Amino acid sequence: MRALYLLREAVTNLRVNRGNVMIGIVTTSFTLVCFGLYLLLYLNVKDLTGTLQSDIEVVVYLDPGASEQVVALVQKRLRTEPAANALAFVSKEQALQEFSEQFPEESLLLDGMEDNPFPASIIVSLSPRFQDTEFLGAFAERVGSLPGVTHVAYSQNWIDTLALTVSYFELGAAMIGMILAVATVTIIANTVRLSLHTRKEEIELLRLIGATGTFIAIPYVIEGTILGAVGGGLSLALLKGMFEFFRMELEASAWFGGVEHMLPVFPGQVPWLLVVTGMLLGCGSSVLSVFGLMKVRN
Amino acid sequence: MIQLFHVSKCYDRCVALDDVSFRIDKGECVILTGPSGAGKTTLLKVIFGAEIPDAGQILVQNRNIARLRGGAIPYLRRTMGIVLQNFQLLQKKTVYENVVLPLIIQGVKRREAWKRVLDVLKAVGMDHKQKICTGVLSAGEQQRICIARAIVTNPILLLADEPTGNLDPDLTVEIVELFKRIHAQGTTILLATHNRGVANQMQGRVVRLEAGQVVSDEGVTP
Repeated sequence: MRALYLLREAVTNLRVNRGNVMIGIVTTSFTLVCFGLYLLLYLNVKDLTGTLQSDIEVVVYLDPGASEQVVALVQKRLRTEPAANALAFVSKEQALQEFSEQFPEESLLLDGMEDNPFPASIIVSLSPRFQDTEFLGAFAERVGSLPGVTHVAYSQNWIDTLALTVSYFELGAAMIGMILAVATVTIIANTVRLSLHTRKEEIELLRLIGATGTFIAIPYVIEGTILGAVGGGLSLALLKGMFEFFRMELEASAWFGGVEHMLPVFPGQVPWLLVVTGMLLGCGSSVLSVFGLMKVRN
Repeated sequence: MIQLFHVSKCYDRCVALDDVSFRIDKGECVILTGPSGAGKTTLLKVIFGAEIPDAGQILVQNRNIARLRGGAIPYLRRTMGIVLQNFQLLQKKTVYENVVLPLIIQGVKRREAWKRVLDVLKAVGMDHKQKICTGVLSAGEQQRICIARAIVTNPILLLADEPTGNLDPDLTVEIVELFKRIHAQGTTILLATHNRGVANQMQGRVVRLEAGQVVSDEGVTP
Protein backbone atom coordinates (compact mmCIF):
# COMPACT_ATOMS: atom_id res chain seq x y z
CA MET A 1 0.00 0.00 0.00
CA ARG A 2 2.91 2.31 0.81
CA ALA A 3 4.67 1.76 -2.54
CA LEU A 4 1.44 2.38 -4.43
CA TYR A 5 0.80 5.54 -2.46
CA LEU A 6 4.32 6.88 -3.10
CA LEU A 7 4.07 6.17 -6.84
CA ARG A 8 0.64 7.77 -7.02
CA GLU A 9 1.93 10.86 -5.23
CA ALA A 10 4.81 11.14 -7.72
CA VAL A 11 2.36 10.99 -10.64
CA THR A 12 0.14 13.55 -8.90
CA ASN A 13 3.16 15.85 -8.51
CA LEU A 14 3.86 15.57 -12.23
CA ARG A 15 0.20 16.21 -13.10
CA VAL A 16 -0.26 19.14 -10.74
CA ASN A 17 2.90 20.94 -11.94
CA ARG A 18 2.30 20.20 -15.63
CA GLY A 19 3.71 23.52 -16.84
CA ASN A 20 6.93 23.35 -14.87
CA VAL A 21 7.33 19.68 -15.64
CA MET A 22 7.03 20.38 -19.38
CA ILE A 23 9.66 23.12 -19.11
CA GLY A 24 11.86 20.73 -17.14
CA ILE A 25 11.47 17.97 -19.74
CA VAL A 26 12.15 20.29 -22.69
CA THR A 27 15.24 21.85 -21.14
CA THR A 28 16.54 18.48 -19.96
CA SER A 29 16.09 17.02 -23.43
CA PHE A 30 17.75 20.06 -25.00
CA THR A 31 20.83 19.72 -22.79
CA LEU A 32 20.89 15.96 -23.39
CA VAL A 33 20.64 16.56 -27.16
CA CYS A 34 23.69 18.85 -26.96
CA PHE A 35 25.49 16.21 -24.94
CA GLY A 36 24.31 13.48 -27.32
CA LEU A 37 25.53 15.42 -30.37
CA TYR A 38 28.94 15.77 -28.86
CA LEU A 39 28.90 12.14 -27.82
CA LEU A 40 28.03 11.03 -31.35
CA LEU A 41 30.77 13.20 -32.80
CA TYR A 42 33.26 11.81 -30.31
CA LEU A 43 32.22 8.19 -30.89
CA ASN A 44 32.36 8.66 -34.66
CA VAL A 45 35.83 10.22 -34.53
CA LYS A 46 36.98 7.45 -32.22
CA ASP A 47 35.50 4.87 -34.56
CA LEU A 48 37.18 6.52 -37.53
CA THR A 49 40.46 6.66 -35.65
CA GLY A 50 40.16 2.97 -34.87
CA THR A 51 39.50 2.17 -38.53
CA LEU A 52 42.47 4.21 -39.69
CA GLN A 53 44.71 2.87 -36.97
CA SER A 54 43.92 -0.69 -37.96
CA ASP A 55 45.43 0.10 -41.38
CA ILE A 56 48.73 1.29 -39.96
CA GLU A 57 51.65 -0.61 -41.31
CA VAL A 58 55.34 -0.62 -40.52
CA VAL A 59 57.68 -0.85 -43.50
CA VAL A 60 61.00 -2.57 -42.83
CA TYR A 61 63.49 -1.60 -45.59
CA LEU A 62 66.16 -4.16 -46.35
CA ASP A 63 69.80 -3.67 -47.27
CA PRO A 64 70.17 -4.03 -51.09
CA GLY A 65 73.14 -6.25 -50.47
CA ALA A 66 71.38 -8.54 -48.02
CA SER A 67 71.47 -12.22 -48.98
CA GLU A 68 68.33 -14.35 -49.16
CA GLN A 69 69.38 -16.02 -45.94
CA VAL A 70 69.56 -12.71 -44.09
CA VAL A 71 66.13 -11.68 -45.47
CA ALA A 72 64.69 -15.01 -44.35
CA LEU A 73 66.18 -14.48 -40.90
CA VAL A 74 64.62 -11.01 -40.66
CA GLN A 75 61.24 -12.43 -41.67
CA LYS A 76 61.63 -15.24 -39.15
CA ARG A 77 62.50 -12.73 -36.44
CA LEU A 78 59.49 -10.54 -37.33
CA ARG A 79 57.13 -13.51 -37.14
CA THR A 80 58.12 -14.02 -33.50
CA GLU A 81 56.96 -10.48 -32.66
CA PRO A 82 53.54 -10.64 -30.95
CA ALA A 83 52.60 -7.32 -32.55
CA ALA A 84 53.06 -8.57 -36.11
CA ASN A 85 49.69 -9.57 -37.52
CA ALA A 86 50.83 -10.25 -41.06
CA LEU A 87 54.00 -9.90 -43.12
CA ALA A 88 54.26 -9.13 -46.81
CA PHE A 89 57.58 -9.22 -48.65
CA VAL A 90 57.97 -6.62 -51.42
CA SER A 91 60.90 -7.31 -53.71
CA LYS A 92 62.90 -4.59 -55.50
CA GLU A 93 61.08 -5.43 -58.74
CA GLN A 94 57.67 -5.28 -57.12
CA ALA A 95 58.52 -1.92 -55.57
CA LEU A 96 59.55 -0.52 -58.95
CA GLN A 97 56.40 -1.88 -60.57
CA GLU A 98 54.16 -0.39 -57.89
CA PHE A 99 55.88 2.98 -58.25
CA SER A 100 55.44 2.89 -62.03
CA GLU A 101 51.77 2.05 -61.64
CA GLN A 102 51.06 4.66 -59.03
CA PHE A 103 53.14 7.46 -60.58
CA PRO A 104 53.32 6.74 -64.33
CA GLU A 105 54.60 10.24 -65.24
CA GLU A 106 57.39 10.26 -62.68
CA SER A 107 58.49 6.76 -63.71
CA LEU A 108 60.12 8.30 -66.79
CA LEU A 109 62.75 9.71 -64.46
CA LEU A 110 63.88 6.17 -63.75
CA ASP A 111 64.41 5.31 -67.41
CA GLY A 112 67.95 6.64 -67.45
CA MET A 113 68.99 4.66 -64.42
CA GLU A 114 70.72 1.38 -64.93
CA ASP A 115 69.97 -0.14 -61.52
CA ASN A 116 66.63 -0.38 -59.75
CA PRO A 117 66.93 2.22 -56.95
CA PHE A 118 64.09 0.77 -54.85
CA PRO A 119 65.04 -1.40 -51.91
CA ALA A 120 63.23 -4.60 -51.01
CA SER A 121 61.02 -4.29 -47.95
CA ILE A 122 58.83 -6.22 -45.58
CA ILE A 123 55.43 -4.67 -44.73
CA VAL A 124 54.30 -5.54 -41.21
CA SER A 125 50.61 -5.19 -40.35
CA LEU A 126 50.27 -4.59 -36.64
CA SER A 127 47.58 -6.09 -34.48
CA PRO A 128 45.31 -3.33 -33.01
CA ARG A 129 46.54 -3.92 -29.45
CA PHE A 130 50.05 -2.78 -30.35
CA GLN A 131 49.36 0.43 -32.20
CA ASP A 132 50.17 3.02 -29.58
CA THR A 133 52.93 5.47 -30.27
CA GLU A 134 55.17 4.32 -27.46
CA PHE A 135 55.12 0.72 -28.60
CA LEU A 136 55.67 1.64 -32.24
CA GLY A 137 58.81 3.60 -31.35
CA ALA A 138 60.26 0.70 -29.39
CA PHE A 139 59.26 -1.76 -32.11
CA ALA A 140 60.93 0.31 -34.85
CA GLU A 141 64.11 0.64 -32.80
CA ARG A 142 64.22 -3.09 -32.12
CA VAL A 143 63.59 -4.11 -35.73
CA GLY A 144 65.92 -1.41 -37.09
CA SER A 145 68.85 -2.95 -35.24
CA LEU A 146 68.45 -6.33 -36.95
CA PRO A 147 71.18 -7.25 -39.45
CA GLY A 148 70.10 -6.62 -43.05
CA VAL A 149 67.64 -3.85 -42.10
CA THR A 150 68.52 -0.31 -43.23
CA HIS A 151 65.63 1.54 -41.63
CA VAL A 152 62.04 1.22 -40.44
CA ALA A 153 59.25 3.63 -41.48
CA TYR A 154 55.82 4.21 -39.95
CA SER A 155 53.37 7.10 -39.70
CA GLN A 156 54.49 8.54 -36.38
CA ASN A 157 52.99 12.00 -36.95
CA TRP A 158 49.69 10.64 -38.21
CA ILE A 159 49.34 8.36 -35.21
CA ASP A 160 50.31 11.15 -32.82
CA THR A 161 47.76 13.53 -34.34
CA LEU A 162 45.00 10.95 -34.12
CA ALA A 163 45.82 10.12 -30.52
CA LEU A 164 45.91 13.81 -29.65
CA THR A 165 42.57 14.47 -31.39
CA VAL A 166 40.89 11.66 -29.50
CA SER A 167 42.33 12.85 -26.18
CA TYR A 168 41.10 16.43 -26.92
CA PHE A 169 37.67 15.02 -27.65
CA GLU A 170 37.70 13.08 -24.39
CA LEU A 171 38.68 16.20 -22.47
CA GLY A 172 36.03 18.24 -24.28
CA ALA A 173 33.42 15.56 -23.66
CA ALA A 174 34.23 15.58 -19.96
CA MET A 175 34.01 19.39 -19.73
CA ILE A 176 30.87 19.78 -21.85
CA GLY A 177 29.27 16.81 -20.10
CA MET A 178 29.97 18.38 -16.73
CA ILE A 179 28.57 21.79 -17.73
CA LEU A 180 25.44 20.24 -19.23
CA ALA A 181 25.02 17.94 -16.23
CA VAL A 182 25.15 20.93 -13.88
CA ALA A 183 22.59 22.74 -16.07
CA THR A 184 20.26 19.74 -16.11
CA VAL A 185 20.61 19.18 -12.37
CA THR A 186 19.77 22.85 -11.74
CA ILE A 187 16.70 22.72 -13.98
CA ILE A 188 15.29 19.49 -12.53
CA ALA A 189 16.15 20.55 -8.98
CA ASN A 190 14.21 23.79 -9.50
CA THR A 191 11.22 21.90 -10.87
CA VAL A 192 11.24 19.59 -7.86
CA ARG A 193 11.70 22.55 -5.49
CA LEU A 194 8.69 24.22 -7.02
CA SER A 195 6.78 21.00 -6.52
CA LEU A 196 7.88 20.98 -2.88
CA HIS A 197 6.79 24.58 -2.48
CA THR A 198 3.32 24.00 -3.91
CA ARG A 199 2.82 21.06 -1.55
CA LYS A 200 4.32 22.76 1.50
CA GLU A 201 1.18 22.39 3.61
CA GLU A 202 0.86 18.74 2.71
CA ILE A 203 4.48 18.14 3.74
CA GLU A 204 3.82 19.86 7.08
CA LEU A 205 0.82 17.60 7.60
CA LEU A 206 2.77 14.48 6.74
CA ARG A 207 5.42 15.44 9.29
CA LEU A 208 2.73 16.03 11.88
CA ILE A 209 1.32 12.54 11.49
CA GLY A 210 4.68 10.80 11.74
CA ALA A 211 6.03 10.57 8.19
CA THR A 212 9.80 10.29 8.01
CA GLY A 213 11.84 12.58 5.77
CA THR A 214 12.53 9.65 3.46
CA PHE A 215 8.82 8.84 3.12
CA ILE A 216 8.08 12.46 2.20
CA ALA A 217 11.05 12.66 -0.17
CA ILE A 218 10.48 9.47 -2.20
CA PRO A 219 7.64 10.80 -4.44
CA TYR A 220 9.80 13.80 -5.36
CA VAL A 221 12.77 11.58 -6.17
CA ILE A 222 10.49 9.41 -8.35
CA GLU A 223 9.18 12.61 -9.96
CA GLY A 224 12.71 13.80 -10.81
CA THR A 225 13.69 10.38 -12.12
CA ILE A 226 10.62 10.18 -14.38
CA LEU A 227 11.27 13.73 -15.57
CA GLY A 228 14.90 12.86 -16.37
CA ALA A 229 13.93 9.64 -18.14
CA VAL A 230 11.29 11.38 -20.28
CA GLY A 231 13.79 14.15 -21.06
CA GLY A 232 16.35 11.49 -22.02
CA GLY A 233 13.80 9.68 -24.22
CA LEU A 234 12.81 12.91 -25.95
CA SER A 235 16.43 13.85 -26.54
CA LEU A 236 17.01 10.40 -28.01
CA ALA A 237 14.10 10.84 -30.44
CA LEU A 238 15.39 14.28 -31.46
CA LEU A 239 18.94 13.05 -31.86
CA LYS A 240 17.91 10.02 -33.88
CA GLY A 241 15.80 12.25 -36.14
CA MET A 242 18.66 14.69 -36.64
CA PHE A 243 21.08 11.84 -37.24
CA GLU A 244 18.90 10.20 -39.91
CA PHE A 245 18.37 13.56 -41.60
CA PHE A 246 22.12 14.19 -41.63
CA ARG A 247 22.80 10.71 -42.98
CA MET A 248 20.26 11.14 -45.77
CA GLU A 249 21.72 14.51 -46.71
CA LEU A 250 25.20 13.03 -46.71
CA GLU A 251 24.19 10.13 -48.92
CA ALA A 252 22.47 12.51 -51.30
CA SER A 253 25.60 14.62 -51.70
CA ALA A 254 27.47 13.23 -54.68
CA TRP A 255 30.77 14.80 -53.68
CA PHE A 256 30.71 12.90 -50.41
CA GLY A 257 30.50 9.62 -52.32
CA GLY A 258 32.22 6.82 -50.45
CA VAL A 259 32.77 8.82 -47.27
CA GLU A 260 29.24 8.31 -45.89
CA HIS A 261 30.06 4.71 -45.06
CA MET A 262 32.97 5.89 -42.96
CA LEU A 263 31.36 8.70 -41.01
CA PRO A 264 27.93 8.42 -39.45
CA VAL A 265 27.33 5.63 -36.99
CA PHE A 266 24.76 5.66 -34.19
CA PRO A 267 26.27 3.30 -31.61
CA GLY A 268 23.87 1.04 -29.76
CA GLN A 269 24.95 2.33 -26.35
CA VAL A 270 23.85 5.93 -27.09
CA PRO A 271 20.09 5.39 -26.47
CA TRP A 272 20.73 3.68 -23.14
CA LEU A 273 23.34 6.21 -22.18
CA LEU A 274 21.00 9.15 -22.82
CA VAL A 275 18.01 7.68 -20.98
CA VAL A 276 20.08 6.38 -18.06
CA THR A 277 21.98 9.69 -17.86
CA GLY A 278 18.65 11.53 -17.83
CA MET A 279 17.33 9.27 -15.07
CA LEU A 280 20.48 9.59 -12.99
CA LEU A 281 20.54 13.36 -13.38
CA GLY A 282 16.84 13.56 -12.50
CA CYS A 283 17.22 11.30 -9.50
CA GLY A 284 20.37 13.09 -8.31
CA SER A 285 18.89 16.56 -8.61
CA SER A 286 15.70 15.57 -6.76
CA VAL A 287 17.77 14.04 -3.98
CA LEU A 288 19.65 17.35 -3.74
CA SER A 289 16.35 19.26 -3.59
CA VAL A 290 14.72 17.11 -0.94
CA PHE A 291 17.87 16.53 1.09
CA GLY A 292 16.73 19.15 3.61
CA LEU A 293 13.53 17.20 4.27
CA MET A 294 15.52 14.38 5.79
CA LYS A 295 16.96 16.60 8.48
CA VAL A 296 14.24 19.08 9.40
CA ARG A 297 12.79 18.45 12.87
CA ASN A 298 9.41 20.22 12.94
CA MET B 1 2.97 9.52 30.76
CA ILE B 2 4.16 13.12 30.27
CA GLN B 3 6.46 14.90 32.69
CA LEU B 4 7.72 18.44 32.27
CA PHE B 5 10.59 19.64 34.48
CA HIS B 6 11.34 23.39 34.51
CA VAL B 7 10.73 23.78 30.80
CA SER B 8 11.52 27.17 29.28
CA LYS B 9 11.33 28.38 25.72
CA CYS B 10 11.99 31.82 24.20
CA TYR B 11 11.46 33.12 20.67
CA ASP B 12 14.05 35.86 20.22
CA ARG B 13 13.44 37.84 23.41
CA CYS B 14 9.82 36.80 23.83
CA VAL B 15 9.27 34.27 26.61
CA ALA B 16 6.82 31.56 25.54
CA LEU B 17 7.35 29.11 28.40
CA ASP B 18 8.88 30.03 31.71
CA ASP B 19 9.93 27.26 34.10
CA VAL B 20 6.88 25.06 33.42
CA SER B 21 6.62 21.84 35.43
CA PHE B 22 3.73 19.41 35.65
CA ARG B 23 2.85 15.81 34.85
CA ILE B 24 0.06 14.06 33.05
CA ASP B 25 -0.74 10.47 33.96
CA LYS B 26 -2.05 7.78 31.69
CA GLY B 27 -5.78 8.11 31.00
CA GLU B 28 -5.98 11.70 32.24
CA CYS B 29 -7.80 14.49 30.44
CA VAL B 30 -5.97 17.77 30.86
CA ILE B 31 -7.33 21.05 29.60
CA LEU B 32 -4.68 23.68 29.01
CA THR B 33 -6.27 27.10 29.25
CA GLY B 34 -5.10 30.65 29.17
CA PRO B 35 -5.30 33.73 26.98
CA SER B 36 -3.81 33.95 23.51
CA GLY B 37 -0.01 34.12 23.74
CA ALA B 38 0.06 32.33 27.09
CA GLY B 39 2.26 29.54 25.66
CA LYS B 40 -0.33 26.80 25.10
CA THR B 41 0.67 26.05 21.51
CA THR B 42 4.38 26.18 22.35
CA LEU B 43 3.80 23.70 25.15
CA LEU B 44 2.07 21.29 22.78
CA LYS B 45 4.82 21.80 20.21
CA VAL B 46 7.58 20.88 22.65
CA ILE B 47 5.62 17.77 23.61
CA PHE B 48 5.29 16.54 20.03
CA GLY B 49 8.87 17.49 19.23
CA ALA B 50 8.27 20.41 16.86
CA GLU B 51 10.20 22.73 19.18
CA ILE B 52 13.22 22.10 21.34
CA PRO B 53 13.03 23.73 24.79
CA ASP B 54 15.82 26.12 25.77
CA ALA B 55 15.91 24.62 29.25
CA GLY B 56 14.30 21.79 31.19
CA GLN B 57 13.35 18.21 30.43
CA ILE B 58 10.25 16.71 28.81
CA LEU B 59 9.65 13.03 29.26
CA VAL B 60 7.01 11.44 27.04
CA GLN B 61 6.65 7.76 27.87
CA ASN B 62 10.02 7.99 29.60
CA ARG B 63 11.74 9.37 26.50
CA ASN B 64 13.44 12.73 26.78
CA ILE B 65 12.07 14.72 23.85
CA ALA B 66 14.73 17.40 24.02
CA ARG B 67 17.43 14.83 23.48
CA LEU B 68 15.72 12.91 20.70
CA ARG B 69 17.48 13.01 17.34
CA GLY B 70 15.51 14.47 14.41
CA GLY B 71 15.09 11.02 12.86
CA ALA B 72 13.33 9.71 15.99
CA ILE B 73 10.66 12.44 16.05
CA PRO B 74 8.38 10.85 13.39
CA TYR B 75 8.31 7.62 15.40
CA LEU B 76 7.41 9.57 18.55
CA ARG B 77 4.55 11.28 16.69
CA ARG B 78 3.18 7.93 15.55
CA THR B 79 2.33 7.22 19.19
CA MET B 80 0.32 10.45 19.39
CA GLY B 81 -2.70 11.89 17.68
CA ILE B 82 -2.52 15.58 16.89
CA VAL B 83 -5.52 17.82 16.17
CA LEU B 84 -4.98 21.43 15.16
CA GLN B 85 -7.29 24.42 14.89
CA ASN B 86 -6.80 24.79 11.11
CA PHE B 87 -7.70 21.11 10.45
CA GLN B 88 -4.73 20.52 8.08
CA LEU B 89 -6.66 18.23 5.80
CA LEU B 90 -5.78 17.49 2.19
CA GLN B 91 -8.64 19.33 0.55
CA LYS B 92 -8.44 17.54 -2.81
CA LYS B 93 -8.41 14.09 -1.27
CA THR B 94 -11.42 12.17 -0.02
CA VAL B 95 -12.34 11.65 3.61
CA TYR B 96 -11.08 8.06 3.39
CA GLU B 97 -7.76 9.11 1.82
CA ASN B 98 -7.18 11.67 4.56
CA VAL B 99 -7.95 9.33 7.42
CA VAL B 100 -5.99 6.38 6.02
CA LEU B 101 -2.80 8.44 5.62
CA PRO B 102 -1.29 7.76 9.10
CA LEU B 103 -1.90 4.04 8.54
CA ILE B 104 -0.11 4.14 5.17
CA ILE B 105 2.82 5.88 6.84
CA GLN B 106 2.94 3.18 9.50
CA GLY B 107 2.79 0.43 6.87
CA VAL B 108 -0.54 -1.06 7.97
CA LYS B 109 -1.88 -3.58 5.45
CA ARG B 110 -4.66 -2.42 3.10
CA ARG B 111 -7.46 -4.62 4.47
CA GLU B 112 -6.63 -3.83 8.09
CA ALA B 113 -6.36 -0.10 7.25
CA TRP B 114 -9.71 -0.12 5.49
CA LYS B 115 -11.39 -1.75 8.51
CA ARG B 116 -9.84 0.68 10.98
CA VAL B 117 -10.76 3.74 8.90
CA LEU B 118 -14.38 2.60 8.64
CA ASP B 119 -14.54 1.97 12.40
CA VAL B 120 -13.15 5.38 13.24
CA LEU B 121 -15.36 7.16 10.68
CA LYS B 122 -18.37 5.48 12.28
CA ALA B 123 -17.15 6.66 15.69
CA VAL B 124 -17.09 10.29 14.52
CA GLY B 125 -20.32 9.88 12.49
CA MET B 126 -18.70 10.43 9.09
CA ASP B 127 -18.76 6.95 7.57
CA HIS B 128 -21.39 7.97 5.01
CA LYS B 129 -19.08 10.62 3.56
CA GLN B 130 -15.92 8.61 3.12
CA LYS B 131 -15.77 9.13 -0.66
CA ILE B 132 -16.31 12.88 -0.54
CA CYS B 133 -13.45 15.37 -0.89
CA THR B 134 -12.80 17.11 2.42
CA GLY B 135 -12.73 20.50 0.69
CA VAL B 136 -16.52 20.49 0.32
CA LEU B 137 -17.24 19.56 3.96
CA SER B 138 -18.39 22.01 6.64
CA ALA B 139 -15.98 23.20 9.35
CA GLY B 140 -17.48 20.85 11.93
CA GLU B 141 -17.24 17.89 9.58
CA GLN B 142 -13.66 18.76 8.70
CA GLN B 143 -12.74 18.87 12.38
CA ARG B 144 -14.35 15.49 12.92
CA ILE B 145 -12.28 14.08 10.04
CA CYS B 146 -9.21 15.62 11.60
CA ILE B 147 -10.03 13.89 14.90
CA ALA B 148 -10.71 10.62 13.09
CA ARG B 149 -7.27 10.86 11.45
CA ALA B 150 -5.70 11.53 14.84
CA ILE B 151 -7.26 8.51 16.52
CA VAL B 152 -7.16 5.99 13.66
CA THR B 153 -3.77 4.70 14.85
CA ASN B 154 -5.11 4.15 18.40
CA PRO B 155 -2.67 6.66 19.92
CA ILE B 156 -1.92 6.56 23.61
CA LEU B 157 -1.98 10.34 23.73
CA LEU B 158 -4.22 12.81 21.91
CA LEU B 159 -2.98 16.39 21.65
CA ALA B 160 -5.45 19.04 20.51
CA ASP B 161 -4.64 22.69 19.91
CA GLU B 162 -7.76 24.89 19.89
CA PRO B 163 -9.83 22.18 18.18
CA THR B 164 -12.97 24.29 18.42
CA GLY B 165 -11.34 27.61 17.56
CA ASN B 166 -12.94 27.77 14.10
CA LEU B 167 -16.31 26.34 15.06
CA ASP B 168 -19.64 27.88 16.04
CA PRO B 169 -21.08 27.09 19.55
CA ASP B 170 -23.27 24.17 18.38
CA LEU B 171 -20.42 22.50 16.56
CA THR B 172 -18.16 23.18 19.55
CA VAL B 173 -20.49 21.18 21.78
CA GLU B 174 -20.53 18.37 19.24
CA ILE B 175 -16.71 18.21 19.03
CA VAL B 176 -16.28 18.38 22.82
CA GLU B 177 -18.68 15.46 23.17
CA LEU B 178 -16.55 13.55 20.67
CA PHE B 179 -13.41 14.21 22.72
CA LYS B 180 -15.23 13.05 25.85
CA ARG B 181 -16.18 9.80 24.15
CA ILE B 182 -12.58 9.25 23.03
CA HIS B 183 -11.35 9.92 26.56
CA ALA B 184 -13.93 7.52 27.96
CA GLN B 185 -12.29 4.79 25.87
CA GLY B 186 -9.03 5.30 27.77
CA THR B 187 -7.09 7.75 25.58
CA THR B 188 -5.01 10.33 27.42
CA ILE B 189 -5.96 13.81 26.21
CA LEU B 190 -4.17 17.15 26.42
CA LEU B 191 -6.41 19.82 24.96
CA ALA B 192 -5.39 23.47 24.67
CA THR B 193 -8.18 26.05 24.49
CA HIS B 194 -8.81 29.64 25.43
CA ASN B 195 -12.54 28.90 25.56
CA ARG B 196 -13.71 28.57 29.18
CA GLY B 197 -16.91 26.87 28.03
CA VAL B 198 -14.94 24.06 26.43
CA ALA B 199 -12.82 23.67 29.56
CA ASN B 200 -15.93 23.45 31.72
CA GLN B 201 -17.69 21.06 29.37
CA MET B 202 -14.70 18.68 29.18
CA GLN B 203 -14.82 18.18 32.98
CA GLY B 204 -11.10 17.41 33.18
CA ARG B 205 -8.12 18.70 35.05
CA VAL B 206 -7.54 22.34 34.11
CA VAL B 207 -4.01 23.74 33.90
CA ARG B 208 -3.94 27.48 33.37
CA LEU B 209 -1.02 29.17 31.65
CA GLU B 210 -0.33 32.90 31.70
CA ALA B 211 2.71 34.56 30.17
CA GLY B 212 4.36 31.16 29.83
CA GLN B 213 3.89 30.15 33.47
CA VAL B 214 1.52 27.67 35.12
CA VAL B 215 -0.69 29.82 37.34
CA SER B 216 -3.15 27.17 38.40
CA ASP B 217 -3.61 23.41 38.20
CA GLU B 218 -6.99 22.29 39.45
CA GLY B 219 -9.36 19.36 39.21
CA VAL B 220 -8.43 15.80 38.46
CA THR B 221 -10.15 13.55 35.99
CA PRO B 222 -12.25 11.02 37.88
